[in-house]
Amino acid sequence: MTSKPKVLMLGWEFPPVLTGGLGTACYGLAKALSKYAEIELLIPQSDKETKLENVHIRGMNYFGINGGQTVEVPMQALEEFAKVKKIPAPSLNPYPVGIGFEKEAVALKSPEAIRALYSGIEPYGPNIMQKVATYAEVAVRMALETEFDVIHAHDWITFPAAVRIKEITGKPLVIHIHSLETDRVGELAKGDWNRVYEVEKKAMEKADRIIPVSHYTQECAIKNYGISEEKFYPVHNAIDPEESFRLPKKSGEKLVLFLGRVTFQKGPEFMVETAWKLLQVYPDVKFFVAGVGDMLEKLKALVLERKIDHKFVFAGFLSQSNVKKVLAQADVYFMPSVSEPFGLSALEAAGFDVPCVISRQSGVAEVLPNALNANFWDTGKFANYIYGLLNYTGIREEMVERTKQDLSKLSWDDAAQDVMEVYRSLEI
Amino acid sequence: MTDVCLIFQVHQPYRLKEYGFELIGKDHSYEDSARNISVLNRIADLCYIPTNKILLDAIEKHKGKFRIAFSISGTCLEQFYRYRPDVIESFRRLSQTGYVEFLAETYYHSLACLYSEAEFRRQVVKHERAVQNLLEVRPTVFRNTELIYSDKLLPVISELGYKTILAEGKSQNMGGLSPNRVFSAGLENINILTRNFGFSDDIAFRFADPSWSEFPLSGKKFANWLSKREQDEHSLVLYMDYETFGEHRKQETGIMDFLGALPDEIVKHENLQFSLPSDAAKNGPENKPVYSSKDWTSWADEDKDLGAWHYDHMQKDALKNLYACELSLYKIGRPDLLDTWGRLQTSDHFYYMSTRFWQDPVHRIFNPYNSPYDAYLNFMNALSDFKGLIMKA
Repeated sequence: MTSKPKVLMLGWEFPPVLTGGLGTACYGLAKALSKYAEIELLIPQSDKETKLENVHIRGMNYFGINGGQTVEVPMQALEEFAKVKKIPAPSLNPYPVGIGFEKEAVALKSPEAIRALYSGIEPYGPNIMQKVATYAEVAVRMALETEFDVIHAHDWITFPAAVRIKEITGKPLVIHIHSLETDRVGELAKGDWNRVYEVEKKAMEKADRIIPVSHYTQECAIKNYGISEEKFYPVHNAIDPEESFRLPKKSGEKLVLFLGRVTFQKGPEFMVETAWKLLQVYPDVKFFVAGVGDMLEKLKALVLERKIDHKFVFAGFLSQSNVKKVLAQADVYFMPSVSEPFGLSALEAAGFDVPCVISRQSGVAEVLPNALNANFWDTGKFANYIYGLLNYTGIREEMVERTKQDLSKLSWDDAAQDVMEVYRSLEI
Repeated sequence: MTDVCLIFQVHQPYRLKEYGFELIGKDHSYEDSARNISVLNRIADLCYIPTNKILLDAIEKHKGKFRIAFSISGTCLEQFYRYRPDVIESFRRLSQTGYVEFLAETYYHSLACLYSEAEFRRQVVKHERAVQNLLEVRPTVFRNTELIYSDKLLPVISELGYKTILAEGKSQNMGGLSPNRVFSAGLENINILTRNFGFSDDIAFRFADPSWSEFPLSGKKFANWLSKREQDEHSLVLYMDYETFGEHRKQETGIMDFLGALPDEIVKHENLQFSLPSDAAKNGPENKPVYSSKDWTSWADEDKDLGAWHYDHMQKDALKNLYACELSLYKIGRPDLLDTWGRLQTSDHFYYMSTRFWQDPVHRIFNPYNSPYDAYLNFMNALSDFKGLIMKA
């Protein structure tokens, strides 16, 4: 590999449309990686304002439009490709890799419908399988128009596309695991009706290299998907240094911040249990829940039942700038996740000098040795940690100082260089 | 002639139990008695009893030519008294030979010297009484906790009646001289006996390390090294943890045999003699070189400073909060509260809170906590309860 490798990167979430950490991670990595590789990034929705030098971003919300003009999507691209690559025509079945829901895809001959599919504000939504299927079709089309050395795909939503592109082009496939279905729904992932687990498993089997975002995620993948160790190259997520600030709180009460989707994976019941234990002894604190999710109503009912609802603030989904304002006021960042592949928001909190109390079952615990961690079910220990942070200054000062040093060791550039190592190992 | 002082440090703290915040105001006992008793029993059986026997046999064999010293902390003496009186008995027998000296220190093996002269005095006097009661001797040589020393100590040590102090042979304090001589410090003309950490650590740390260039170390080889002295090197102080023998270095390493053979080997050299520290100090020349340390010095780590106990935010915060109780406690004057407070002052508690040495292998040996944060939180919770007790009293 003497010149810069050409990477076909398949992403999904991307700034400014961000739901979880996936978009931030993809952005951070692409930006740093562009120093070492030429990247063509395919995402469902691109934004004219969000540009990256040396990264050619192609949004499917602009599919069929070139320079403001609608163009015909050349259906003969496949056939021409076949001629060049000398692939026998019969094997060029338009669906060489069955993903099980091709019928759901919006037909390529309807570029307008495709653009519409990816122009909403919700990157997932109830028609997510249609989006994934369509993405697979469109991505293959776009891939055939591109020259690249390696495919780099982020998470299950891009995996059907990625696997298919590998099958057609023969290029090596690197899959990047930011999340696992088993993290999201536990044992339910292996149920017959769950399609996401199958997509993840097949991709791991077909991939040449697997990049999990933590050693913890690697262990989960090996344990739950039966993949052997050799293909794995863990690369930790990082964070771009940011301006942080502190804001005075309106009330004198301390603030413990829970920031993330209110869903099983994030351990909301353990947060309630911890809060209850703490409030028995130390009532001068509020638990601030910033996020929405399928367990939000259950969570509200739970705190009501425990008679601690007056100590909880449910702020709903916050914009980036409001998240920063809350971080600037938080006394403790609390992440009792049941299974967290990484946990980028903990890095964000750490960047705002907020001491972090986090689950041991998380990837981010690997890069924040000076955060306080405990097993996700150990609510007594969590409560003890939070009590200590709210009452004793020594631990707060020490943690914040040491975490600053830990953060300074993290960079997307290091992550990018690790990814380059992975590419090099493929001898492309 | 060089006086060889072989001095052993004997110390056990009262380790704290797991004390969660929910116990504050409810549970006023902070110690893990079960664990402390178990540790004491183990070390008594592996180290104190058998090693005392080896030393006693050697003393009797050499009829006065083999002399040693011990520094036993108050918390340790107490635990022996309560749980292993046979160990006290074994130290008494050593004392009764007349060839074993016991050093003075702060009863609670504490850092009181950094915070309160009054408390420091109280603890030194309490320790003297304990040594007198249990071992029937009066200490005349002083050794501060972990060899923590600075010139600031001199006035109060002198007032307490001590003419000789042990300190670390840190080169910048000795004006470039070797530690193998008696120094003098301050206007009071107090004697300073300086630990030769090279030779001491050869035994305490390197003895069982196969990658050490001098491994294996025999009594003969070691005695040879000791005998190679310059003209002006009249004393050589070996000071180490007693638990080295049988606990940190297990019997299988041969360290007990080494110790047993050492007196035989040393007495073979005409220019070496075992001495009690107080005698070595008396044997010092008229004009002694000066030992001076404006800053606090200790025997710990490479830097030999306060880094192990009084360095980061947690340690300093815990110590500050602890010593803030002093005034109230003296006013209340209850001995039980003073004793609880004393036990919380033992330097080990703060050693465990060190983030600087979190991953250091030596620091890990002694540390029952998984992280310095756990150590700090545990201590501060117990202290919170204790402060509550003070308020109520």
